[in-house]
Amino acid sequence: MAKKTPYFEHESLQDKDTIISYLKAITQGFKKGAIKFSDEDENFVLTPQPFANLKIKATQSKKGQTLNIKINWSSDQDEDADDTPLFIDPKHPKKSNRSKKSS
Amino acid sequence: MQLIPALYDPLRFLIIELQKQLELVTLFFETGEADVAERSLARVDYIDNQHLILLNRAAAFLAETPEAESRIAVQSYEHLNQSLKTLSRQCQAIVFQAQSCRSALKILRRKAVFKALQDLTAGLEMIEPAIESESSSLAIDICRLKVHIDKRCDQQLDRLKKRLKNGQQTEMLLNASFVLRDISAMGEGLLRIGEGIISANLGQMIQIERYHSLEATLSALQLNPQQNELSIRALGETKSGCSLSGVMGTDSEGEMLAVFKEGDQAKLQEEKTGIESWHQVYPGIAPKVYSYHKNGSKAALLFEYLTGDTFERLLLDKDRKLLKKGLNTLFGTLQNIWQATQIEKHQAAHYMQQLKKRLPAIFAVHPEFELKMININGVKSHSISNLIEACATLEDGLSVPKAVYIHGDFNLDNIIYDSVEDEVNFIDLHRSDYQDYVQDLSVLMVSCYRIANFDPQVRKLIAQTMQAIYDFGADYADQIKDDSYALRMALGLSRSFLSSTRFVLDKQHAKAMHFRARYLMEQILRLSPQHLNNYQIPKEIFHD
Repeated sequence: MAKKTPYFEHESLQDKDTIISYLKAITQGFKKGAIKFSDEDENFVLTPQPFANLKIKATQSKKGQTLNIKINWSSDQDEDADDTPLFIDPKHPKKSNRSKKSS
Repeated sequence: MQLIPALYDPLRFLIIELQKQLELVTLFFETGEADVAERSLARVDYIDNQHLILLNRAAAFLAETPEAESRIAVQSYEHLNQSLKTLSRQCQAIVFQAQSCRSALKILRRKAVFKALQDLTAGLEMIEPAIESESSSLAIDICRLKVHIDKRCDQQLDRLKKRLKNGQQTEMLLNASFVLRDISAMGEGLLRIGEGIISANLGQMIQIERYHSLEATLSALQLNPQQNELSIRALGETKSGCSLSGVMGTDSEGEMLAVFKEGDQAKLQEEKTGIESWHQVYPGIAPKVYSYHKNGSKAALLFEYLTGDTFERLLLDKDRKLLKKGLNTLFGTLQNIWQATQIEKHQAAHYMQQLKKRLPAIFAVHPEFELKMININGVKSHSISNLIEACATLEDGLSVPKAVYIHGDFNLDNIIYDSVEDEVNFIDLHRSDYQDYVQDLSVLMVSCYRIANFDPQVRKLIAQTMQAIYDFGADYADQIKDDSYALRMALGLSRSFLSSTRFVLDKQHAKAMHFRARYLMEQILRLSPQHLNNYQIPKEIFHD
C-alpha cells in the first residue's frame, strides 16, 4: 500500500563541498519553485511558495554543534476554488440614492 | 415570575420560617429575654432544611425539563433561595452579637432601629405577592426598602460613632455598631431578592441600577418593563466593558425592538456623540438613538436594533456570492461617504505612534515577541522597537491628501450588512473623526485575518476579502491621487496585525500576525527612495 502522506528523509556523512552542493540544489529549487525528492520507490516534489516561515536554530553541546534550518509554507490544495476577485471595479451599489457619481 | 409549584412550595415555607425568625429577633430587641433569642436561633435548622429541599427539587426539575426557559426560571428560584438563607444567617449573627453584650441591646432600643426591623418585616411580607404578581412594581418596592433601612441604620451609626469618640463603653458601642451593620446588610439582601424577581420577569439577571436605566430609556419607546411587556437578552460585553442587551417584546416572537447598552458614562457619551455626528455627516448609516439616560458615572443608551449579519458571519458561512455582494455594497457606501465628507486637509494617522503605545500591552500577552536584534553572518533582523522607530521616521513624510470622516474602529463586528435591503450600517461609533481612510481599511483587513477559524476554504475567502478591500482602497487612492496609499497601508496593517495579537491567545495565530507585521515593516524599510512610490503590498501575506 502506498504511503498516505508523502515523506522523504536522508542522512549521510559528507564533506564540506558536498554539503554546499546540497544547499545549492535546495537554493536552486527555491528559485524555481520546485524541489524534487526521489528514492527508488517514490517521487515527491515540494513547491516552495513566495512566502514561507523560516526558523534557524544553532546549538552547541559537549558533543558538537548543530544548525537546524526549518522552512515551512502552506500550500493551496483546493484547485477548484473560485479565484475571481471579490472587488468589482468600480461600480456603485444599486441603492445609490444618496451617492454622487464619480468619474 | 413563572410559578413552579415544586419549587415555590419550599420557598414559601422558607419565607414563613424567616418571618418567624425575624419576629423573634424583634421581640428579643424589645424584651432582651434569652429564651426568645434561643427560639429565634432554633428557626435556622428549619430554614436550612427548606433551602436544601428547594435545591434538590431544582436539580430534579432541571433534569426533567432542561429547556432554556425553565433554566432561567429555576435560576431565579435558586437565587431567591440563596438570598433568603443569607437573610436568615444575618438574623442569626445579629442575635449572637446582641447576646454577647446585653448593654448593646439597650442602646439599640431606638425608634429608628425598630423602624428598620419593621421595614425588613414588611419586605418579607411583600415577597410572595411580588412573585405572584404580573408586574414588577412590587419587586421594585422591595428593592426600595433598602434605601429606607440604610438611612435609619446610618443615622444610628453616626450617633454611635460620636459616642465612640469619647472613648468610654467602647466594647458596647462597637457591638451595637456591628448589629446595625448586620441590619443594614439585611436591607441589601432584600434588594437582591427584589432584583431576583425583576430578573425572572425579564428573563435575564439584572441589577437594580441597570433596571432603572432600562426603564428610563424604554419610556422613549412607550414601553414599561414593569408591566412585563418585554424581556431582555444578553448580546454580550464590549471590550470597553459596556454590557449589551437586546430588548424584545413578549409577543414579538423573539424580534428585537431595540438594543440597550449600559456602562461607563464617558464612553457612552462618546458613542452618542459619534452616532449623532454620523446622522449629520451621512444620514442613514448609524442606528437611531431612542434615548440616553445618565446616572452618575454610569449611563445607558437605547438605540435601534439593526437587522442583518456581520461580515464575519458571511465569511464563516462560506457564501461567496453573498459575501461578494455585501462587500461591494460596503465599498460603494464607503466611496459615497468618502466623497461626501472629504476635506482638503493633509492628515497623518501616525500608525507607528499608535503601535508604540500598545507595545507594553502586546508584550504582556506575548512576551516572546520582544525579540532582540539578530545578525547571521551579516544578515540582520532588528528588534520590534527599532523597526517601529525606523518606520516612524519613514511615516513622517506620509499623509493622506484628503481626510475623510472615518469610523475609527472599523472591525468586522461593527459593520452590519442587511442582505435583503442590500445595505450596510455602522455601529460602535465612538471613535469617528476626520482621518486617513487607510486607517479604517487596514483595521478592517486585519479583523478579517484575526478570525480564529482555520478551515482552508474560510482562510481562502478571508485572503480574497482582504485583497478585495486592498484593491478597493487602491482604486480610491487613484481617484484622489494618493500616491503613498500602499506605504501607509503597510504601516496601518503592521500596526493592526501586531496590536491585535493582544486579543489572540492562540500562539500559532498570534505568531502569524506578529510575523506579518514585522515582514511589512522590514520590507518597506528596505525600499530605495525611487521604489517607495511603486510599492505594492504582496498579496501572499493575506494567505496563511
